[in-house]
Amino acid sequence: MDLFLQQVLNGVMIGSTYAVVALGFSLVFSVMRVVNMAHPEFFMAGAFGAYVMTRYVTTNVAGVLAGGMLVAAAVGLVVERLAIRPVRGRYVMIPFIATSGVGIALQHLAERVFGSDPVAIPAVVPAASYTFGPVSVTRMQLVTFAIAVVLMLGLRYYVRNTKWGRATRAVAERPEVAAAFGVDVDFVSRLTVGISALMAGAAGVSIGMLYTSAWAFMGLIYGLKSFVCMLVAGNRHVEGVMVVGLMLGVLEALVSGYLTSTLRDAVAFGVLVVVLVFKPNGLFGSYSV
Amino acid sequence: MSDLAAFLTPVLITAGINSIIALGLYITMSSGPLSVAHAALAGMGGYLGAVLTTNFGWPFSLAILAGMLLGFVTGLLLGLLIVRMNELVAGLTTLGFGETMAVIAFNIDYIGGANAFSGIPLRTTLPLVYAVLAVILFVAWRYDESRLGYAARATRDSPVTADAMGINITWVKSLTFGIGAAIAALGGVLRAHYILVQGPEDMGFFVSVGFLIFVIFGGSYVFWGPLFGAMTLTILPEVLRFSAKDRFIIYGVLLTIMVILRPQGLITRRSMR
Repeated sequence: MDLFLQQVLNGVMIGSTYAVVALGFSLVFSVMRVVNMAHPEFFMAGAFGAYVMTRYVTTNVAGVLAGGMLVAAAVGLVVERLAIRPVRGRYVMIPFIATSGVGIALQHLAERVFGSDPVAIPAVVPAASYTFGPVSVTRMQLVTFAIAVVLMLGLRYYVRNTKWGRATRAVAERPEVAAAFGVDVDFVSRLTVGISALMAGAAGVSIGMLYTSAWAFMGLIYGLKSFVCMLVAGNRHVEGVMVVGLMLGVLEALVSGYLTSTLRDAVAFGVLVVVLVFKPNGLFGSYSV
Repeated sequence: MSDLAAFLTPVLITAGINSIIALGLYITMSSGPLSVAHAALAGMGGYLGAVLTTNFGWPFSLAILAGMLLGFVTGLLLGLLIVRMNELVAGLTTLGFGETMAVIAFNIDYIGGANAFSGIPLRTTLPLVYAVLAVILFVAWRYDESRLGYAARATRDSPVTADAMGINITWVKSLTFGIGAAIAALGGVLRAHYILVQGPEDMGFFVSVGFLIFVIFGGSYVFWGPLFGAMTLTILPEVLRFSAKDRFIIYGVLLTIMVILRPQGLITRRSMR
């Protein structure tokens, strides 16, 4: 039972980061109908941003986080201009392949710059752990979780309660009608990619700090899991993606705790196949392609 | 001269094997699905063929047949699984399948796990690869002109219309997936008996994307496209001596530019007339 509780806690901590990556990915898809295969590279850019910050600028947590997010957002806006804007609105597989190409190029560019092996990020949060009855949690895990919760609540507030958030939802629902009512669809698209990149960047910083390393190919597996979260949840509701992200984290933690940690990465795809066979639009419904 | 032959032989063998797998992917894609699982299918064929020749002493030809059969059955099932999904979800499902296969291969100690399966006998030669490639090209050519080929293209262009015309979409999609997977597995068996190791990393996402690039770069509407794509993109980087890392940067950029400017690929049906 103690193992169970501990693994559920670990799962929630890591799952919150999956949810953050998946939210940005799903936001871009619902607004632009673009499957942004370069999204995991925003995550990777955030982690390398954190590495560069700790190495050359500051080891303050807030500074590292801001630096990583800005690097990711810059990469995101460049990708938006070069590979998303020219193909937006075309048949869905075309942006899929175009952004895959950018993603592959970015990964190998990072490999070229930072080397094939992971680089070490020094610990920016002093190591400490807290014990609550049968379970314990490290301070770093709590920081990661806090960042994720703030981002999730922030995104939810933005989408539901702000002017630009309403415009974003309008574009997701009916781009032509939104444009007719005076919404600048191009700007909303750019803003959406920018926000998704900021969130992915923050998640990259979190994971970079948590595992104290950054790697050119670290994005792939997190990216795949966030695609799984979006497909399993469906992209109509941000809350659905959050819930599925947390559930995936817990499920993986339980598999590593009770079976073997090497099978952990196969869990997501097992869940994906089972859910898609029975609910092709995801558990909570999707915008059509 | 012998230096040149020593340089060219491996390049040509690799190009031939890549062309075979790309043609398999072409046949799968002719009915619509974008498969990111063909590296995994080739890898499964490679593993099975290698185990049969190395551990059981089967003749190479039987190992090839066994590998193709495994590929065909797996492809058929995968095709059945994705037939009702939209293309995007289908693409991501094949991706998930490929990664899962790589994880599974990584964890089976009998086939070497993370250390790859090694000690495979050398069976693949340059004439053999090109003889097989010629057969596969003949098959792809006849396939393009066959009833199944027409039905597959109709299914890709408009599943609803194809269904209304009496084409059994489920059957066409899963059969073309199976045939394409069998050809990819054949390529995998040949590759395993040439490079003499078969590891889980040969089954992953990047390898699959490499094959996808061959098809999309060359053109996925006529069988010369994947042949041209695989040959050009395998031989040119070797001749120009790009390092493997730079090659992927260029692949990525090339893929993006191609799909933005010429999504139909370099060679189309019209340019063959």
